[in-house]
Amino acid sequence: MAAIGIAGLVKRFGAVTVIEALDLEVGAGEFFTLLGPSGCGKTTLLRIIAGFERQNAGDLQVNGRLANDIPAHRRDMGMVFQNYAIFPHMSVFDNVAYGLKQRKFSHREIEAKVSRALELVRLEGYERRFPDQLSGGQKQRVVLARALVIEPQVLLMDEPLSALDAKVRVGLRRDIRLVQQQLGITTLYVTHDQEEALVVSDRIMVMEAGEIRQLGSPREVYEDPANLFVATFIGTSNLLDGRVDRSGGVSGVQVAGARLDLPDLPAADGTELHLALRPEHLTILDDGPVAEGVVALEGVVELVSYLGSQSRIAVRVPGVAEVVEVEAPSAAPASASPPGRAVRLGFRPESAFLFAAASGERVR
Amino acid sequence: MAVPAGSRRLDLWTVLTLAALAVLGIFVLWPLANVFTASFYGEFSGSLGLENYATFFGSGYFRRALWHSLFTSAMGTLLALALGLPLAVIAARYDFRGKAALRVLVLLSLISPPFIGAYAWIMLLGRQGLVTQALAGIGIGLPTIYGAPGIILVTALNLYPLVFLLVHGALLRIDRSLEEASLGLGRTRFQTFRSITLPLTLPAMATGALLVFLGVLSDFGTPALLGENYPVLATLAFTLFLSEIGGNPAMASTTSVVLVSVALVLILLQRWVASRRNYASDAINRPEILRMTGWQRLVFPAFAWGLMAIANLPLLIIVYTSFLETSGPVFLQSFSLDSYRQVFHLVRGAIVNSFAFSGMALALIVVTGSVVGYIISRRDTMLTRVLDTALMIPYVIPGTVLGIGFITAFNQPPIWITGTMAIIVAAYFIRRLPYMVRACASYVYQIDRSVEEASINLGAPPAKTFMKIMLPLMAPGILAGAVLAWVEVINELSATVVLYTGATSTMPIATYSQVLAGSYGPAAAVASLLILATTLSLVLFTVIGGSDRELTV
Repeated sequence: MAAIGIAGLVKRFGAVTVIEALDLEVGAGEFFTLLGPSGCGKTTLLRIIAGFERQNAGDLQVNGRLANDIPAHRRDMGMVFQNYAIFPHMSVFDNVAYGLKQRKFSHREIEAKVSRALELVRLEGYERRFPDQLSGGQKQRVVLARALVIEPQVLLMDEPLSALDAKVRVGLRRDIRLVQQQLGITTLYVTHDQEEALVVSDRIMVMEAGEIRQLGSPREVYEDPANLFVATFIGTSNLLDGRVDRSGGVSGVQVAGARLDLPDLPAADGTELHLALRPEHLTILDDGPVAEGVVALEGVVELVSYLGSQSRIAVRVPGVAEVVEVEAPSAAPASASPPGRAVRLGFRPESAFLFAAASGERVR
Repeated sequence: MAVPAGSRRLDLWTVLTLAALAVLGIFVLWPLANVFTASFYGEFSGSLGLENYATFFGSGYFRRALWHSLFTSAMGTLLALALGLPLAVIAARYDFRGKAALRVLVLLSLISPPFIGAYAWIMLLGRQGLVTQALAGIGIGLPTIYGAPGIILVTALNLYPLVFLLVHGALLRIDRSLEEASLGLGRTRFQTFRSITLPLTLPAMATGALLVFLGVLSDFGTPALLGENYPVLATLAFTLFLSEIGGNPAMASTTSVVLVSVALVLILLQRWVASRRNYASDAINRPEILRMTGWQRLVFPAFAWGLMAIANLPLLIIVYTSFLETSGPVFLQSFSLDSYRQVFHLVRGAIVNSFAFSGMALALIVVTGSVVGYIISRRDTMLTRVLDTALMIPYVIPGTVLGIGFITAFNQPPIWITGTMAIIVAAYFIRRLPYMVRACASYVYQIDRSVEEASINLGAPPAKTFMKIMLPLMAPGILAGAVLAWVEVINELSATVVLYTGATSTMPIATYSQVLAGSYGPAAAVASLLILATTLSLVLFTVIGGSDRELTV
């Protein structure tokens, strides 16, 4: 049985449709991420599930029970907010105990549960502190403990890390994932940060304009994007314009003056395509002969960005609108290329994702 | 199960919004509608038409009152600008000894009711005035303070703080980089002030000016005490109403409608100015504090402290004279507590009433104001927007007009409260409710919405969330709003003077009638009690850190 079931859900704000006929099932104990650019409807969906917004049509089920008419304060869901939403006039203890007091637990139970929850988020001994004595990361840990301590049916997180510094963010997202696995709690996580989504999720739902663009594991959405939107939103993709070429036996694609042999292309001759190439699938070739099955493109180095162990080399290729980003180990000679040097880029045709230019849907 | 599109449940907040609208409907719109309607029923013929307006604009007497109102308001505004603007510039840009005390003194002159100022100036410059007498003794005659000059002087000294607070605030919000850019481009300091600083404070200046204009226009106490043969609309409406009582209050209503119309034009003008020229910028770098040079070192502090002295002189005079022995309007040279003894003997009821009525009104204001302030800043629906706009009306309605409206509306069933304390409490409540609503709303705006949602999410229903989370966080706003509302209601004169009976007299009424009766000693004693209540409130307001925003709304 799904922990959360959504069927035919529609949400409109006035004349604007934010979510269009959405169906979704989230399994018990799953870490499920709603990922998309701002305005894609992910936060609205989370707020509908929390009961802060009401859908215009469709059903929401939680653990098999219809939840449409349950008011927000009786939905029994723990929520973590983007800007902490810590109660500023209460101590850490009182913040965490807030939901427990509402549920009429005894004093002793409350104390035991609060200290266990604080232990879980590694804030033992902070009970008497007040929010203004805490760092951003600590505040968010308190809020996480506050949401978890009521043992909710579902944990909802609305961009919980976006107000934090990069370093704190990385530490806290690891902790969130660890705690979630430890407790096995069904978690819905909203973020616009694709890297964050890849790191923490069991499954990711990539959204755009209120619709699901792809739903799958982090590996699936990165390595097998369903459409151009997912390929460009998750990770870096170099886009090259191409055209299907069926002249002479084998089907292929004409791109930037080169021809890629791609047998059994399910597209008509002359179809406009976008090729998406991950930077790690491109290499700077040395001067020797090109290996069997590798396509070479001529270009000029524009900029080398040092990123630590890896470097990104931006290469201007004639006939390609954007510079092509190539990833190479910083130790490699190519990473020391001065701007203006002529280079050859190589890639294997089968590593490219092909999308129909008209629809953006994956062709191959 | 499909949810019907646009379905709305009748939740707690909708019910409360409707209740608040009902209260405003009963205590604001209905009285006003009564006044409005009465103005169209002919004074003599009793038939529907423009007869009263023809009388009003056809008679030199009425037209003169309108002109007097406009003239004193305009001149009072000019004088308030002349006092408030330089003070704002000096306080915002220069450092001098005792600057911190300046704000408190400015606030003190703002929150002391103008009729107290009027009375004090009568004691100084009136016919029997201390200064008048002293100068007459050495053969110098002073121009009269009665009529326009007195009204202009007293109201300007009372209301210049509005200009000061707004412009001072605006000056502090100008990022110093703007002025530095101008200086860097080769302009002199004076040119920079004229071409950068001044234009940036123009919206604040315009708002301050219009608020002063509105304040002078609505004021009853000052022209009532100083006007004598110089009627203005507010006093005229009152006199007409007293003479018309029992019959058809046709001309009082007509005068009221004219007065409200002028006020309405002004408030619309103010909104328009505010919306049109708003250079709101939150200064990251506060403006540079300049050093006074040469003549400035003498003139600037002298101006600031001179103004403080003159504006707060009435308070000193009143407290001082309240301890003097008196014989009618004549103060004797010896100290005594006779005035207080008389007051506690004669007008004990008024003192008790003042605290009782103000206390009750304040309780209603705090409860209603905090809920309504929350609603209008959190729930954005058609209804709450109507409520927000409707709350502007009590600002615009002069107390006298509201009083007349109350009597015409509430002297028969279903609400028959004329002559009771209920009608006074209701008037206090409705007049000062907007203060509380504004003060609370401005705090709610600063509280992140998700704090509230977190509480609901953790299982606390909306009403409980309001009590446990919102109220504690709104507390400073509620307290600031309450202090201001308290000062306003305990000093309320213009509506009370229409509504009170012998049994429901208050301290301001007692002051007013003692002054009119020439019993200056008891008047000074009651006024001193009012000053004490007001000053204590101001101290509280300053201690709790209330901001200028609440004062200027």
